[in-house]
Amino acid sequence: MDEVLQSVRRFLPELVLTGGLLLVVLVDATRARWRDGVNRFLTAASLLAALVLCGRLYGWSGELFSGMLVLDPMAVFFKVLLVAASLLVIVLFTFDNSRELHGLGQGEFYALMLAVTISNMLLATANDLAMLYLALEMVSITSYVMVAYMKGDRMSNEASLKYILFGAASTGGMLFGLSLLYGMTGTTSLPAIRDFLATGVGEQNRLAVYLFALLIFAGFGFKTAVVPFHFWCPDVYQGAPTPVTAFLSVAPKAAGFAIMLRFFYGSLATSATGPWDLAGTIDWPHILVLISVVTMTVGNVAALTQTNMKRLLAYSSIAHAGFIMMGVVALSENGARGMMIYLLVYLFMNLGAFLVVTLIHNQDRTFDLRDYPGLYRRAPFLTAAMAVFLFSLMGIPPLIGFMGKFYVFAAIIERGPVFYWYAVVAALNAAVAAFYYARILKTMIMDAGNEDRPAFALPALDQIAVMALVAANVLPLLWWSQVEGWARKSLALYTP
Amino acid sequence: MIGIQHYLFVSASLFCLGFLGILTRRNAVNVLMGIELVLNSANINLVAFSRFGPGNLQGQLFAVFVIVIAAAEVAVALAIVLTLYRLRRTPNLDEADILRG
Amino acid sequence: MTAGAVVFYLFAAITVGSAAVVVLARSLIYSAFALLFTFFGVAGLYVLLGADFLAATQLLIYVGGILVLLLFGVMLTHKLYDLDLRSEVTQFLPAATIVGGLFLILAWPIDLSFNLLGRQMRLYGVLFQTTWAAGPGRPPAATTAEIGRLFMGQYLLPFEAASILLLVALIGAAMIVRRRPQA
Repeated sequence: MDEVLQSVRRFLPELVLTGGLLLVVLVDATRARWRDGVNRFLTAASLLAALVLCGRLYGWSGELFSGMLVLDPMAVFFKVLLVAASLLVIVLFTFDNSRELHGLGQGEFYALMLAVTISNMLLATANDLAMLYLALEMVSITSYVMVAYMKGDRMSNEASLKYILFGAASTGGMLFGLSLLYGMTGTTSLPAIRDFLATGVGEQNRLAVYLFALLIFAGFGFKTAVVPFHFWCPDVYQGAPTPVTAFLSVAPKAAGFAIMLRFFYGSLATSATGPWDLAGTIDWPHILVLISVVTMTVGNVAALTQTNMKRLLAYSSIAHAGFIMMGVVALSENGARGMMIYLLVYLFMNLGAFLVVTLIHNQDRTFDLRDYPGLYRRAPFLTAAMAVFLFSLMGIPPLIGFMGKFYVFAAIIERGPVFYWYAVVAALNAAVAAFYYARILKTMIMDAGNEDRPAFALPALDQIAVMALVAANVLPLLWWSQVEGWARKSLALYTP
Repeated sequence: MIGIQHYLFVSASLFCLGFLGILTRRNAVNVLMGIELVLNSANINLVAFSRFGPGNLQGQLFAVFVIVIAAAEVAVALAIVLTLYRLRRTPNLDEADILRG
Repeated sequence: MTAGAVVFYLFAAITVGSAAVVVLARSLIYSAFALLFTFFGVAGLYVLLGADFLAATQLLIYVGGILVLLLFGVMLTHKLYDLDLRSEVTQFLPAATIVGGLFLILAWPIDLSFNLLGRQMRLYGVLFQTTWAAGPGRPPAATTAEIGRLFMGQYLLPFEAASILLLVALIGAAMIVRRRPQA
């Protein structure tokens, strides 16, 4: 009982969010006229409170709730990132500026956002196989519902169907792998698994290790949308309402990478055999390099031919997952730091791009790039903002996107000549990506067309939102040592 | 004497059959049935390892959570399938083809 | 053969046989009812493994909840004018090959060592050759009390988190299916 109370003290962010969730559900049930405004306020307030409480979690490392969760500086970093992602999506994408959400119930959306934030936080800090699987499925099921939000829309429905069937199949396979892992080690606790595997894996167990590693990676790969588990990504991103897509592209992905890092580094590697050495059985670095390269390439090449903005950003998202994996592959302190910084900057870049796409859709009712010509004249502010976001995604200094790429590239190159070719391939991929990002800008600025359409009428609130994101993409350079210091401080992983 | 291998064989068969169902079936409800077979096979694994292994109940508890998750998943999946049917009058996956590529 | 072994083989046959019908049957209704038998077989296997609470949970939730829901799904989505609840199977051969390969990897029973072109090759399967965690095992005994204690003790957090999951599933499923009155 004492242990539970101790853990509760360190679990306050999630508890506040749960309280907020219950309140939102209750307020929504009253069917009063003011419930939407109140719900929005409640959600934002809970997320803000959770953010502040997360900040206060620094300085303590250990296990919570009898080893179900783990708390260490890296966990706190990811909690802050995940809560911030939800808060930004709630605040920036309103039911007014997202045409797709017009007329749909608001209360459920806020409740789902709170629930998915709680689930993401549980996933990023899971320390036990049962908790891991439960949190993963919580994130997934909540996402399935959010993708199906536009229930009258065929595309949304089809997207959510593909998402749920593909997702349930992947996590089902992952569960089989987890059961084999439990069978081999006799325990579901990740630290205990690591200790067991550290003593070495017999020759005849190799095949089992390959099998469950593959199956478990299938589950993680599905969540982070790396090849070959990315097939759901373009359809789901296109069919879901854009705020949901924006959220899916940053938050569950970050939580997925966090748990991947924690699982493979914290439980399947030991310092004796070196990180990523899975007790000498699997040559992880090379496999992950291969996956990362294929992911980047597939994402970038497929994005070249897309005309639907949401699909294009989906493939771009897949490509960025490949870049993030560079940090995972490098696994060193610098690699982990690179991955964390990349995820942080990716949040602001990607949300910016999606916000602009949403605002354009709000005015013009189109997601098609072929309808974008002439936006430079009609919405100069928006075009300029989009330029900032796209340059950031390309990785052009001095925007934060460049910093993200810089750190992962540095971490990889630092690992030695073995990985030089990998860095070169990644650089080539960045160049290919620049091509289609630039094509968007070219269409908006230089292409002729749509002269007859009126200029944009952008509400003040949306202008402020876009300005804020632009600032987030540009200003951090001024305080970069603070940002980097924060990431460095968050690097400690708790290993009992 | 019935040992762990017997149960593992049963669960392997269920897993493969479920996977076959997921890969080959056109009807969404059928794919869902395949997924349930996969989940059940993993559950049998967990309970069998719990019984023949170190003797803790962790496997069984994990299995209880899997059952709960499966229930939630099926509820949401069927809600989506019903909406698909309502919009397009068919639960067949092949005809869900607006999203291409 | 002891009685225990006979009962095991019986339940195993029910489970695997019904699962085959689920996957291969033409008619959707046959699949659904075969799934019922599969779940029953699995519950029987749980009892044989000494997991009494789990067997009861399996029957209550899987058969009583999930299967009923699946039957609703089947019944509510058939063509109204054509009671032919057929479900077709596509691309059977490639899928069967992949799955067959997977099954062989899992269930290859014999440990073969042989010489192939001068290199020593070893052929073995996952399930039978791997050394699974050994231990005193858990002879069948009542588990409910201890599971309850674990839910309130070590597994408290997943227990509570699962309630959030169920709340979300409830809200979500209801929201997706509900027809909004034209406001």
